[in-house]
Amino acid sequence: MLAAPPPASSYGRRPLGERMIADLKAKLQRAFNPRSVAVVGDKKQSDYMWLNSLAHFQGKVYSVQIDPKEIPGIEALGVPNYKSLLDIPGPIDYALVSVPRPVAPRVLQDCIAKGVGAAAFFTSGFAETKTEDGLLLQASLTKMAQAADFALIGPNCMGPYVPGIGLRNNTDEAWGVSGPVAFISQSGGNLVNFSQAAAASGIHISKAVSYGNAIVLDSTDFLEYIVDDPDTQLIGAYIEGVKDGRRFFRLLRENAGKKPVIIWKGGQTPDGARATSSHTASLAESMAVWEALMKQCGVLRANDVDEMVDTVKALVMVKPGVGDRVGMVSMAGGSSVTITDTFGRAGLRVPELSADSYRKLGSFFNIIGGSYRNPLDAGQTFRSADLLVQMLETLRDDPQIDSVVLEMAARRGDRDPKLMEGLLPALQRFKEGTTKPFLMVVSPPQRVEHYERYAQLRDELTARGIAVYSTSQRAAATLRRVVDYYRFRQELQAG
Amino acid sequence: MSAASVVQQARQERRTLLSEIEAKELLKEAQVASTAPVLARNPDEAAKLARQAGFPVVLKIDSPDITHKSDVGGVKLNLGDEAAVREGWASIMASVQKAAPTARVSGLTVQKQARPGVEVIIGMTKDAQFGPVLMFGLGGILVEVLKDVAFRIVPLTQRDAAQMVREIKGFPLLQGYRGSEPADVAYLEGLLLRLSEFVDKHPEIKEIDLNPIFAYKAGAVAVDARVVLEPPEG
Repeated sequence: MLAAPPPASSYGRRPLGERMIADLKAKLQRAFNPRSVAVVGDKKQSDYMWLNSLAHFQGKVYSVQIDPKEIPGIEALGVPNYKSLLDIPGPIDYALVSVPRPVAPRVLQDCIAKGVGAAAFFTSGFAETKTEDGLLLQASLTKMAQAADFALIGPNCMGPYVPGIGLRNNTDEAWGVSGPVAFISQSGGNLVNFSQAAAASGIHISKAVSYGNAIVLDSTDFLEYIVDDPDTQLIGAYIEGVKDGRRFFRLLRENAGKKPVIIWKGGQTPDGARATSSHTASLAESMAVWEALMKQCGVLRANDVDEMVDTVKALVMVKPGVGDRVGMVSMAGGSSVTITDTFGRAGLRVPELSADSYRKLGSFFNIIGGSYRNPLDAGQTFRSADLLVQMLETLRDDPQIDSVVLEMAARRGDRDPKLMEGLLPALQRFKEGTTKPFLMVVSPPQRVEHYERYAQLRDELTARGIAVYSTSQRAAATLRRVVDYYRFRQELQAG
Repeated sequence: MSAASVVQQARQERRTLLSEIEAKELLKEAQVASTAPVLARNPDEAAKLARQAGFPVVLKIDSPDITHKSDVGGVKLNLGDEAAVREGWASIMASVQKAAPTARVSGLTVQKQARPGVEVIIGMTKDAQFGPVLMFGLGGILVEVLKDVAFRIVPLTQRDAAQMVREIKGFPLLQGYRGSEPADVAYLEGLLLRLSEFVDKHPEIKEIDLNPIFAYKAGAVAVDARVVLEPPEG
């Protein structure tokens, strides 16, 4: 079905024995928890990008640079510089190599001689150029690393990102905060995009890595390490192709039911596949096989960074649920039909409520201008935070309802600021006291002058632990995805 | 013939494509119930075998070089008596001679025509990243056009087999649609699981194509089978 099989790697297609896996994990342990880092080849031209990325790193930082023109600038940053890795006193757990392509093999040799735990090669110009030179050079690096069983990350990558200890691969990335999600990415750009989008939703990263051309270590190897990481509760990955598909499949089968894995598959269409710079040609037909893998292993699927963040948010902030019946409260009559259709298209149901619920609602609902069928049209009845919470509680307590969704417009806050003040803590209490999934939809406004109010509301709700989605489509698609995952998990535990 | 000897025979003849008879013999190990074609080397033999099998019969070209028999006019269905068999023989030989003049022809196979059932397809191909993959779908010529198929990576669990069968759009046909007989879904699931185990044990098999399988209320029968071996190692 696909093109020629990808090249082998020492941690790759050869079946990994127990000893090799233990060795791999030990090396990655050093790479993701380094006490000492060496940056090889940083330059003024890039604004000492790597050394500056490590400005807040908790351990020791060393520079290796032989160009006498660069050394003063490096030392001015307060980083000790050496002419060779081998001159650095003490062990080096992790090295970031950013040297010109022809020098890469020599530096790799030094990494091996020094006993560096793992090294990421930012250096590019290898197989991704599809030139003979690039391919030959990549082959020689691969051979050298394999012969020494060296944990080479990349080349053409950004390496590990562990915000909690200030191990960054870019000066825009957050540091000093950490969270529950790991991210393994074939693309450095997508890693940065994901970390920024997730942070905007208050979600932070435990450990991440951009692994580029994957000549030695591939996504499967990082997964092998990350599934056992106690700081990681869920795993996201951006992948174009895998080298050891059998091991990848087996690993996910054994683990995705315990720790959720979300895969964002790159190169799903023929043009998309052409755009991938990966070592395997990911053709459109193989998407059917990727889909099979995801179904068989209980892997969640994301098609872009938004879906990835939406899904992570739901797994972290929304209580688990296996039912597809949604009880909704929506702000205005017009959107009730639309929102019902939207959830229906996502494969969820917006059913009738129980007679008991209707009785409860009837007693306080203002019928003129508002309906109290599901979805509840709360436009006019929304006079107090208490009333709104009563509506939500009625839905929650209805045995015919599995999840509760509240759609709100930020503008309401402008008209009634005191109402919002009371509402936010009330919503937080509701969410915390509820075992059923609860999501909110707050859509960005049409007009620029209302944007700040919207962002404020969204961020305040997020800070209170409520998952907020910018459209009902995204909320619906996300809910469907996580319900399917929890069902898979339930079947696994039962069977 | 055991599975091993079938493979050995093909290897000796430097072939990777097995004949229908060989393919069905091989798949016996996976307990794939199939119609049993018997080779006739001439029209007289064909007529005798047809009488033995019971009419109506099906005649099919037997050649290690022909993969898609229908495409070369190599299949004649519904032959109700000896005269039809002799006519069918002549017709097939003429078609094949024209469409595939260099093909090595051992003769024609004769088998009793299977009672119609719901046509499904089960196949195996090897994905370069993930290894052996099983495919299930609506069969016959429909599969080429509609592509109503589901895939699962080997090894399959019971859940995988159950899900992949129910995943196809045409599943209602398997449940019995508009008065037609339903298919033995449990049997098909079992078949998928047995093939998964079989494929795992036989890495020398590159491709399997069971199309069509006629699924009945009880059981199912592979009417045609195609197996391709991996090229010999080294």
